[in-house]
Amino acid sequence: MAEDALLAEMRTLRERVAGITGTALASRDGLIVREDTGGVDPDNLAALSATWLALAQRMSNEVGQGLLREAMTRSTAGCVAIYAVGARAVLVLIGDEGLDISSLRRDSRGTLDTIAKLLADSGV
Amino acid sequence: MSTPNQPVATIPTPLRQAFIDCAASRLSGVLRVTGQPGGAFHFSEGKIVAGETPGAPGIEAILLRSKRVDESGWDAAFAAAAATGREMRNELIGRELVGAGELEALLRTTIADAVFAVAYGVVEICRAEAPAAGLLVTLEPGAEAEWLLAETSRRIRVLRSFTDPVFNARARVIAVSGAVRPGLVLGEGRDELAALADGRRTPRDLAFVLGRGVYATMLELGRMQADGLILADSRPPGSPADDEEETPSPAVADDAETPGGLPRRRREHAGQGGRSGGRDLPAAFRLLRLRYGEGTSTGGTG
Repeated sequence: MAEDALLAEMRTLRERVAGITGTALASRDGLIVREDTGGVDPDNLAALSATWLALAQRMSNEVGQGLLREAMTRSTAGCVAIYAVGARAVLVLIGDEGLDISSLRRDSRGTLDTIAKLLADSGV
Repeated sequence: MSTPNQPVATIPTPLRQAFIDCAASRLSGVLRVTGQPGGAFHFSEGKIVAGETPGAPGIEAILLRSKRVDESGWDAAFAAAAATGREMRNELIGRELVGAGELEALLRTTIADAVFAVAYGVVEICRAEAPAAGLLVTLEPGAEAEWLLAETSRRIRVLRSFTDPVFNARARVIAVSGAVRPGLVLGEGRDELAALADGRRTPRDLAFVLGRGVYATMLELGRMQADGLILADSRPPGSPADDEEETPSPAVADDAETPGGLPRRRREHAGQGGRSGGRDLPAAFRLLRLRYGEGTSTGGTG
């Protein structure tokens, strides 16, 4: 089942990158697809992430900086990053203050590709 | 289950040698260590003035999470340091947010914790580089490399002295069900650890949440493991324990139109999608606004 493979992929990324405390995959219209958020409300997270991705992509477009690679908030107690997964989904990563951002940027690329392929294989 | 991937018994040779070489050459620069978790150590005249690693909380996390310094105080000190060019350390002390002696002690232990976290993991390459700008708070005078190596060796020996194998910093820990009776106060910081050991968090994660050193956290967890209060789980993700709690996401169950595909919002769920500004934004945003509205009403005065 694609969702189980999706969750496994998200958990593998959480294990691989120090500081990831939760992950979620949402559709572009803000519905949760799979979540491993560790207590954060997944529905709110999905809705906010889809909205945020739309705004971030519009911002990138507005300033002529090409394809959006990542959008991130950084707060006193951690950070949240989102990544577009193809044209239909968004991956959300929640991290603590020690999130290994260089590992995240390196390792998330493969995860995004795999998730996009899983979604494509499931006929989306 | 406590079958961890045991780290090496001593400090990895490349790291030990790099510290010795940087001290001997009186390096003023950065020693970058690649690996898991890896990190960077800032040297000044051969002494270590700061350490950064994803594997252990830095001084900011230690001060803020432990509530020694409140966030507004930290932000004000940061803004003042940025505006005046003064050292952040002096701003923190000058504003009496933290005492000079306490800050020095915390910086020293934070650096030692960073060295421990890097040494207790996997070390690949150690490379000395030119000094890096942007360090917030540094230890003056810096810590001696020789002391840090001795302290790190001691810490690793202590953790390995437990009868049960001590988990690594990336193993997930979980409180043993029923081991802590309601009303029983464990003390020594164990209550917080037991409450937060939910099977998702690692010792490193717990250290960040509580604003404690990762070594101190692992030491206490090791003792708690010996007392039967917690278990360590080093299994890879996706193992059976991970799947026990899995239930299909409600959103998938309610809204999916194609099994195995992305959930799709049904037409009656879609937002009005107001005119221009909201045209590209997800319909779920409207539901969020409704939810926030409820939150506001419950949190009102009264």
